[in-house]
This record gives sequence, structure tokens and C-alpha cells, in this order.
Amino acid sequence: MDHFPTNWGRPKYDGFDTNATYPFHDHGHNQSAAFAGATQHTQQPIVTGTSVLAIKYKDGIMMAADNLASYGSLARFKGVQRLHPIGDYTVVGASGDMSDFQYLQHVLDGLVISEEINAQDGHTLGPAEIHEYLSQVMYSRRSKMNPLWNSLLVGGVKDGQRFLAYVDLLGVTYFASTLATGYGAYIAQPLLRKAVEGRENTLTEPEARGILEEALRVLFYRDARSINQYQIATITANGVDISGSLKLETAWGFAEGIRGYGSQTQ
Amino acid sequence: MFLTRSEYDRGVNTFSPEGRLFQVEYAIEAIKLGSTTVGIRTQHGVVLGVEKRVQSPLLEASSIEKIMEIDTHLGCAMSGLTADARTMVDHARVTAQNHVFTYDERIKIESVTQAVCDLALRFGESVHDEDAMMSRPFGVALLIAGIDELGPQLYHTDPSGTFVRYDAKAIGSGSEAAQSELQDKWHSQMTLREAQVLVLRVLKQVMEEKLDQHNVQLAEVTTDQGFHILDEIALKEVIDTM
Amino acid sequence: MPDMSAIVNPQQRQFNPYAENGGTILAIAGADFTVIAGDTRQSEGYSIQTRYAPKVFHLTDRAVLAVNGFAADGNMFVKKVKQRLEWYRHAHAKDMPLRAIARLIQTMLYAQRFFPYYVYNILGGIEEDGTGAVYSFDPVGSYEREACRAAGAAQSLVQPFLDNQIYFKNQTPAQGSSHPAHLPLPDVLSIVIDSFTSATERHIEVGDGLEMYIVLAKGRTLPDAVTTLRPQELPSSAGDGERVFVLKRDLKKD
Repeated sequence: MDHFPTNWGRPKYDGFDTNATYPFHDHGHNQSAAFAGATQHTQQPIVTGTSVLAIKYKDGIMMAADNLASYGSLARFKGVQRLHPIGDYTVVGASGDMSDFQYLQHVLDGLVISEEINAQDGHTLGPAEIHEYLSQVMYSRRSKMNPLWNSLLVGGVKDGQRFLAYVDLLGVTYFASTLATGYGAYIAQPLLRKAVEGRENTLTEPEARGILEEALRVLFYRDARSINQYQIATITANGVDISGSLKLETAWGFAEGIRGYGSQTQ
Repeated sequence: MFLTRSEYDRGVNTFSPEGRLFQVEYAIEAIKLGSTTVGIRTQHGVVLGVEKRVQSPLLEASSIEKIMEIDTHLGCAMSGLTADARTMVDHARVTAQNHVFTYDERIKIESVTQAVCDLALRFGESVHDEDAMMSRPFGVALLIAGIDELGPQLYHTDPSGTFVRYDAKAIGSGSEAAQSELQDKWHSQMTLREAQVLVLRVLKQVMEEKLDQHNVQLAEVTTDQGFHILDEIALKEVIDTM
Repeated sequence: MPDMSAIVNPQQRQFNPYAENGGTILAIAGADFTVIAGDTRQSEGYSIQTRYAPKVFHLTDRAVLAVNGFAADGNMFVKKVKQRLEWYRHAHAKDMPLRAIARLIQTMLYAQRFFPYYVYNILGGIEEDGTGAVYSFDPVGSYEREACRAAGAAQSLVQPFLDNQIYFKNQTPAQGSSHPAHLPLPDVLSIVIDSFTSATERHIEVGDGLEMYIVLAKGRTLPDAVTTLRPQELPSSAGDGERVFVLKRDLKKD
């Protein structure tokens, strides 16, 4: 006798196909022989993206990331887009494992499509809903000891509300008016806080762009896994705009004058 | 009459065109064959009484069990197919124990009643690979009596999974006469002793045998003592004051 | 000779599903009130992730839960507790009493005994008998009712202070007098504020903001000394029952 009413009416075994979806839905019968039935869990990231930066400004959210995907210390792919639009109000920016990020793009695009096609109820997913969903995906994967190896920023504007939040491979989340992942959390975040905190409602778009570009430049000087090509996403009441690949202007002349490193004495 | 019905008698979960579930209705009929059971709620507690049909002088009356404890603060009396009640009482006991385990508090009487009634409608064909479940409706009605933070309460459940709260209720073969007697005699200021005596008087009216401490059983739920079944000495004492 | 042990015994680096997100929480029970407080900084290592991530949550008219440790587990745990409280309300047509919430939290924590929620919980509120109560938990569900408790990064700084100020440890009462069993609300609030300003001073993971929840027993009113602090009253389901107030303070951001 099963005394828990919540179990009533449910099949005893998960393996039983309640809705007779075989062979279409998630049927674990045709496992690839390649791993002889053993499942592989991600133990470390392989092809990685570095920092993502984002700030709140007067008209919405601005987010930036460079175009590099590294393979260890090798600058492997130099034209990768790490800012991904979801629906009409949201951008997700990713650092960490790029294949896991591609998987997430696939999941989120599918989510938006199924909400749009299946529901047709007038509800549309905004940045808050996308972030909550992502958090649940990330947390449940970490709880299966099979994480998606990313730190993600979710930014957007919907119903006149700006939204900016973080979620990572552990399912840890937080909200702030300036956010930076990876190396940027150490190098860029202090610069962003100094430039933005208390000015979220007055910063203009050119000012916000300038702040992010400057932070990216410092990162390019200091982060060995970065590159001087980047993209900037702006999310305002008018929607999402992601720039093409832009070039960071850098100056290295100052290196001539530096003295005192290593064996160099004069 | 049965010829026209037969089509809808086969499946236990099949509605007739008039919107009736015949098997459930027949189960309710089965209770009317059962021995009379009476419950009375007072401000001070609840009294339950049952008639034991001692069909043979060789039958050991004390082995007939029609009042059962569910938890320290509640119990029930039954009429109908008493064997079916064991499944229901078992479920009620587990539900009550799960509740104290999880919440460190006594479960409410209504919650236990609801849990029992959830079970009542779980009959029919079981799905592939599922735990075997009841193939027909339970043929028993319960009077569930207890005290919780809302005071003394008496609930009646039937095979349709419906439950209703009563001040006084009789079920079983003599229930019609018994119920009208209860309606006459019950009043809100009754003492527990008055309720015990009324239960016995009502039972006496509808019993064929002469009522004594062997062929009836009384139980009560009070704030101080919780649920307890009266032993023969205490029972005889009440009978003597009738 | 090069170190061959790594080749002979291959080492597997394992994914660590936990993090420690800093912060401190605290609760003190009075005779007819309870104060539950927490700072709002969330950090990892030397980085401040955000200056505002609440750790104290309003559960019912008479229960407030503070959660500290691994933030992802904490948020998930609070979410699940709130879900259970709603199910209970639907099943039993009443709000879950404080001591029932305490036991529920134990069973929920212990259910994860072999993959624990890495969180320290402190539950505060008003008991069925109208008294203020604090329940404290370890990550796997051991719990007890106490008069006060601090947990989290600065537990080792704050708890001894509370032992001295609430339990009067190492204090001798003046001749012919005795220590009070419970302190009045204004005194308790002062102790809470002092606890957090001190912890902020000496612990890098504590600071930014302070949120204090006050749960007041049925029929009681806030003393004038507290009303002047302008606490915000939270909406309650029944008008004449227990009441919950929030007081916010800034803490140093460095």
C-alpha cells in the first residue's frame, strides 16, 4: 500500500512510458556504443571564453565580451560571438566552456520557440524569467555533479524595468548594477563600480560605451586569454542590438620607457 | 431493473447515462446491512458506540473489533464490511504518524478524514506495473472522532469518498431510527456521561438482543485522556446508570 | 628524481559543487518578540559579488528564516520551504506553526544527508503560546530551540558577544538582584546593530547592508523607542495576529 497520495496514479517505474511517446521522446534505448553505456561528466572546461562585462545605464543594459575562444593558452577561435540574444528583451553573455554555452543557446532558443508556438497565450519571456530558468538548469546540473561550465550574465529590459544578473556553474546567482565574470571580476569590476555606482540613471549611451571599452582595454592589456576584438550589446526599450566585431585601440609605446622588470636595469 | 442497469454495472468506474456510479451506490447499500454504529460530539469530547452482533454463544465477543485507534487523539468506529476498514485505518494511522514525524504536531481530524477519503476513491483497474490497488469501492462507512486545536469533532465518511461533520450520527442497519432519536435528544450542552448514556439508549432501541457489556462497545475521546476504548467494567457502570 | 607519483597514481580532479558565500546571520528571542537579522553582502574569496543579496526571508505571519552558507543551496532551500508551507496551507487550512516549520526544516535537511544543503539556518518567530522563539540548525538538520544564535562567517566574533549580553555569561548581578530572563526590544535591536557593526569592522565578508526582521506577538505594539526608527511593516494575512516589521541599516562597504 502506497501511503503517499502524491504517488498515486503515477507509474511505479520511471522507465515506463506514461504517455506512450516511444520511440520519439527521450527514450534511453539507443545508447551510443562509443562509451559502452558509461556517461561522461564535464570535469574541466576545454575551449573557453574569458570575461563578460555588463552595466546598467540610463536607457537599459550594456554588455560586452571579446571574440576569442581559447584552447588552453592557444588563441584557437578568434571570431566567436559570446553575446547571445534570447527573445526580444534579453541578452545572455557567456564565459567558460564554449561548447556548454552552445548547448545553452540551443536550450534557450528552443524554450523561446516552444513558449511562442505552443503557448500563444500572450506571455513572453523577459530577462527575469530567462535568468530564473537558467539558474534552475545550472543548479540542477551541478546537483547531478555534471555542471555546465560557464559563468553567465543575463541582461535585459522589459516593461520599463532594467534587469542584470549573474549565474554560474554552481547555480550561484546575484544581481548588481555592474557585473563582470572571470578575470574581469578582479580587473574590470572595480573600474565599473567606480564609474557606474550611483550614476545608473544618468549615464548616457556614449558614456556607458566608453566605460565598457576602457574596461575591455585594461583587460586586453592584463588578461593573457583576451583579444582586441569585441562586441557590445545594448538592450533598451527599443529592443536588443548587438554590434559587429569592433577593434580595441591600444598603444604599446609606453613599453619603451618601462624600466625595472627582470634583468633589465637601464 | 437490474437488466437495464447491467451494462453500467460491469466497470466500477463507468458512469450510467443518468450520471451515477452504481458500484459506489451498491457499496453504500452494503453499509445499511452492517451493525448500528453511533457517534456523539459534545463540548467535552466525542463518544463512539457500536453494536457487536454476537451470532453464537460460542463466539468470543471480545474478538469483534469495530472501534479502532488511529492516533492518541483520534479513533474511529465502523459499519459495513469491517475488513475493508482495516486498509483505511492503516492508511489513516500512517498518515497521522507521517504528520507527527514531519511537523512535530498532532494532525487535524479533518486532515485524517480527508486522507481516508482520498483513498476511498482509489479503486478500478491498476495501470501496468503499478502496485495492485483496490478493485472495488470500500464497503464500509466510518465515524471518525477526535480532538484537535478546533475542539472535539465527529466526521462521517462513506464509500463515495464524501465526508461530512456531524454533532451526532448513526450508521448501519438501525441508522434511520437511531438518527431520528439522536435528532430528538442531542443538545449542545450535553455532558460526556449524558452522551455515553444516549449512545447506549439509541443502540438499545435498535438492537434485537438485550444490550449488555458484551454486545456493545463504547469509546471516547477527551482532552485529558485522548482516545480510549471503555473496558467492560467501565462499560457496565454506564449501562447500569441507563 | 622527478616526481613520478602523478603518473603512477593518476589523480582525478573532482568538481566541487559547493562554494562559501560569506555573510553572517543572527536571531534573538524576546518574551513576546523575536529579531532575525542578516547582512546583505555576498562574496566569494576576496571578491564582493553583490552588496545586496538578502539572506533573511519572511515565511509566514509569525516565522522568518535566515539562511547562510552556500548561496545557491540557500536560495533553493528557501524556495522549497516556501513551497512546502503553501502545500501545508492548502492541505490543513492554516499557517504552519513555528515549531512545525522547525521540524519540517529538519526533515528537509536530513533528506539531503548524503549531499547536504551547505547552509546554516536560523528560524525565528512567535510560538503557538505567544512566546518569542529561535531555532538553529546545522546543515544536516540537527536543531534546538534557543534564546539567541549567530551563524556564518562572523559567528566566532558575534556568538561570544551574545553569550555575554543575552545569557549574561561572565557577568555577576549586583547584590540582591538577578539578571532578566528576556531583554526589551530596543535593547535587543541595539545589540544586533552593535554585533553587525563590530563584525563588519573585523571580518572582510561582512558588511554593505543590514536587514533586521522583527516578529511581534499577537496584541503587542512596538515601543516608542523602536517606532522612531521607522520600521516598515510587512502585510499580514490576518489583521489581528502576529506582525512582522523590517528595519534596514547601512553597513560599511569597505
